[in-house]
Amino acid sequence: MGIEEEKPKAFQLKPMKCEFNFLSKSDGSAILSQGDTVAVVSVNGPLDIKSTSQSIEKSTLEVLYCTKGGKPSVADRYKENVIRQTCEAAVLGSLYPRTGITVTIQELEDFGGLLSCCLNCTCLALLNSGVSMRCTYAAITCAIDESGDIVLEPSKQHLDTARATMTFVFDSREKNLVTSVTEGVFSEDTYKEALARCHAASDLVFNFYREIIRKYANVI
Amino acid sequence: MAEIYKLIHPLKYFNDYISREIRPDGRKFHECRNIKLNVNSLKTAEASAVVKCGNTTVVCGIQLELASPKAEEPDFGYLVTNLELPALCSSKYRPGPPSDHAQVTNYLVSNIIVNSKCIDLKDLCIVPDKLAWVLYCDMVCLDNDGSLVDACIIALISSLKTLRLPTVTYDAETEDINVDPDIRTPLKVYGLPVATSFSVYKLPERDILITDPSIYEEEMCGGIGSNFIVCSNQSLLCGTQKFGGSNLPPESQEEALKISRDRANVVEKVIETCLANNCEINEI
Repeated sequence: MGIEEEKPKAFQLKPMKCEFNFLSKSDGSAILSQGDTVAVVSVNGPLDIKSTSQSIEKSTLEVLYCTKGGKPSVADRYKENVIRQTCEAAVLGSLYPRTGITVTIQELEDFGGLLSCCLNCTCLALLNSGVSMRCTYAAITCAIDESGDIVLEPSKQHLDTARATMTFVFDSREKNLVTSVTEGVFSEDTYKEALARCHAASDLVFNFYREIIRKYANVI
Repeated sequence: MAEIYKLIHPLKYFNDYISREIRPDGRKFHECRNIKLNVNSLKTAEASAVVKCGNTTVVCGIQLELASPKAEEPDFGYLVTNLELPALCSSKYRPGPPSDHAQVTNYLVSNIIVNSKCIDLKDLCIVPDKLAWVLYCDMVCLDNDGSLVDACIIALISSLKTLRLPTVTYDAETEDINVDPDIRTPLKVYGLPVATSFSVYKLPERDILITDPSIYEEEMCGGIGSNFIVCSNQSLLCGTQKFGGSNLPPESQEEALKISRDRANVVEKVIETCLANNCEINEI
């Protein structure tokens, strides 16, 4: 199951494979592999939540991130927050007031670029669950290596030696920046170039989404 | 009258201001709030700072402790940051264990300090594998009126800049530790990381970039915690963070980078002036 992405000339992303409805009991689920990095996401909702966390204006998104090791840490809280805020920008929560949408993410394999894999997989699972969305989004990770070159979708070895890593998320409508998470030190010019390259590469991810949806729409 | 209008038509109230090129608190779009800084205000801490950016108030205190370094990093000391957002700083927070927002903001602040490399943890090591300093940097927010990360970074950096480490002698044979608090050496701080927050407000025809937003503006622009935060150390960027909220068009991004450069100069001047004044007082 899954589609091998065509390898373009200018950019090369790791091959992406995706399967919908991977879990049978959740409202929407997806498993996505980007290269060797794999994540499973399940989406449940809109459903009832306890009244203290209800919002009268929009649905409350809850994101749970489980690492392979299973021990929760502050870094996981941070990742959850990044993913939650990004999803909130994409989901039309005002259609489901006083409800909750739960997103559970399970890391399976991490060979670099786990955050962007989790973000993309979450977007696919939300699409699969049928929750109304304002737009989709695509996440791309890149690394700046010692010599200042930009590596898209870096491998684990690249990440270990990288001067900086950046993850950018773009929305599908205006292709503007939704989320940016960076680590390390870099100059302004490098930042702009990295952003432009990731921006261009995000088109490939959107194409992949489209292909996957087209394929599953036939099955339905 | 205006207060009632704000309650009945919150969106229109905000729009009316923005479309007249002014913000509800009377600032222009790129005007930052005044910064008030005071260092060494807490006498019980080794180093401390109180900062007010507009109404946002953050107190930072540093405590010192000796510990043995980690086995895998024998020549590194520790820098531990902790941010407290008590219920008193905003009606958004409940008393109890640290909220998610506090954890995330603290992680962000400590990430900025680590990424900017302004503190070399090797400087905190006294004897490799035996003894190293632990810097407990506790920050408490007394009033959260937006752009929290900016204020935290100013408070933390100013306290680190005033920190003077006592001399420690370590006897390798008897393992005796002798701390002499009278002879102190200032901690080396490389550069000066500065964070600047921006919010993006979407009018139907254009996007407005708002510098140094207050909590009310943050809420109007896509929720708390969705600021675009640019951190620079000298001329290098050491982090650009943005989590969801209104999306950011490329033109606004260019603008933000430019403004953050100017603001870094202002903040640098504030901290330098404050430290210079502090030195004068100490000499008298």
